This record gives sequence, structure tokens and C-alpha cells, in this order.
Amino acid sequence: MSPPLLALLELSLKNVLLVASAVFCVGVYGVLSRQNVLVILMCVELILNGANLALVAFGRAMLQAPPGTPTGELASRANVAHVFVVMVLAVAAAEAAVGLAILLAVYRRWRTTNAGEIHLLSG
Amino acid sequence: MDALVFYGSALISIVASLLVVTRRNPVYGAIFLVLFFTTISLDFLLLRAPFLAVIQVLVYAGAIMVLYLFVIMLLSLKAEELREEVTRGRKAMAAVFSGGLFLLLARAIRASDRVRNAPDLAGPLPVGTGEVGTTFAVGDEIFRSQLFAFELTSVLILIAIIGAVYLTKRGPVEPVRPVEPQRLTGHSPGGPADRGVETGQEVGAAAVRGEAAR
Repeated sequence: MSPPLLALLELSLKNVLLVASAVFCVGVYGVLSRQNVLVILMCVELILNGANLALVAFGRAMLQAPPGTPTGELASRANVAHVFVVMVLAVAAAEAAVGLAILLAVYRRWRTTNAGEIHLLSG
Repeated sequence: MDALVFYGSALISIVASLLVVTRRNPVYGAIFLVLFFTTISLDFLLLRAPFLAVIQVLVYAGAIMVLYLFVIMLLSLKAEELREEVTRGRKAMAAVFSGGLFLLLARAIRASDRVRNAPDLAGPLPVGTGEVGTTFAVGDEIFRSQLFAFELTSVLILIAIIGAVYLTKRGPVEPVRPVEPQRLTGHSPGGPADRGVETGQEVGAAAVRGEAAR
């Protein structure tokens, strides 16, 4: 088998990061192009998940450090990345709860979930 | 083998995220988002993060998506309320911006020496590496080195709960835009046919009343 094909068979950090940034950019596109506030909030979840995937991939790559580094510290570094993901998850949950509560309050007052129709602050 | 599973789940997750963005009905978007969360959880398993994989399914696909679906069903939006007036130009600008962002990120990833020299992520761990990504390891890390950040997170969640309860409480605010009668009663204001039916009902009611008087 040719070397490029062999390289495809290993799970490289580059590919994981490319997938994470693709998911991130799809989320950004959704936030910019949609008007339904529910869908915009879901796209924010997409963005956070792209970031999470990159964090976990970096944590995994930390485990194969150059020889000489004490191996006990390697596991700790990867675990710190996982703790970071847990905190991103907590922020995502808080964002979903507050965002949906704001959406409900707005819907009760203006009877719409369209971000284009809520323009009280736009002069 | 790990790489093939990763390519499959990556393909599904990108297609699912595109479907989340493009579906007009948020219910379909939410269902594809659940699919997306499961594929990301599969990626976490491949990257030796079993605790995060379980938490991803429990918290994201379980709790957060139930919250979204609950709000979608509470609002029960009709088709005309889901209509969006996004111009073609704005969509094109969003596509150019996010596509450009992706190209920038890809360029940065390709240019980085660290990423190029990173080893195979599916390979075995070096001998003597402690526990990685298990519940014990992550919990140990949270309560040993990241304790302060963890406590701050709990304060954040407390604030979010209080904020959510305050915002959804029925306050003294009056609706600014008057609600059309159509939305309240559920049928369109009467045309000639409707009026005919109504008068017919009235005649019938009058007849009933007359009979009662007799």
C-alpha cells in the first residue's frame, strides 16, 4: 500500500482537528444565517462541541510526549483536558437554561421566536 | 480500525450538523443534534475519554436536548411562525465568513509542526501512564488540582438556575404586540360562509329558546 493510504489508516491529530473545526464552522454558519432563536441556540451547542472535540484530541496527543518526560504527569495533563471539557459542558448547560428562559420570556411578550422581528434596541 | 470508525463518525457528525443548520423545523434539528452528540461521544471513546463519552450522552443528548424539545413543544410553533426572511446575500455572506474561517483554521492546523509531529492517536499508551479519562482519573483531577475552578462552576450553575427561574416566572409585563384574535380562538375571522353558519346557529338557538318558552 502506498504511504499516503497507510497514513490514512492511522488516527492523526490533524484529521481530528479538521473535523472539530468543520463542526465549529458549520455552527458559526448557522448562527449567522438563521433567524429562529431555537436553531441559533442549537448552533451554539455545535460550536461548543467542536471546541470540546479539539480539547479531547489535544489531551490525547499529550499522552505521547517525547521520551524523557515522567509518564505520571502525562496522564494528569490529559485528565486536565477532560476536566476542561466538563466545565465547557457546565457552561453549555447554563447557557441552554438561561437562553431558553429568555426565549420563553420573549415569546410571551412578542409572540415570536424570530430574531429578525425582535428589534427593540435597533433604533 | 480506530481510524476507519473515526472517519465514519466524522462523516455522520458533519452531515448531521449541516442538517441541524438547514432544517426549518427545529424539531428535526433537535433530533439530528442528538445524532450529532452520539457521534461526538463515539469520537471521545476513540480518544480514550470514556467518562466524557458517557457524560456527553447523559448531559447533552439526555438533559440538554430534553430541555430544547420541552421548549419546542411548549411553544408549539405553527408553520407560518417558522418562516424566516433571510436574504440570499446574507446567507452567502455567512457562508463566505464561515468557509473562510474554516480555511484559516485548516491552514493553521496544516502549518503547525506540533500537529504534524503528533503520533498516531490510536496507538497504545506509553508504559506506566496512569489512568486516563476514567471516572476515577477525572474525578481525582477535579478535586485535587482543579478544585477552585470546579467550585466556581457550581456557582455559575446556581446563578443560571436562579436566572432561568426568574426569567420564566409570570411577571406583571403586558404583551406589547396585541395578540390577534385568530391566534386566540383558532379559526379565521368570518367570511360570508362563516356568517351564514353563524346565523343558522342563531336561528336554531332561537328556535330552541322559543320551544323552551312554550
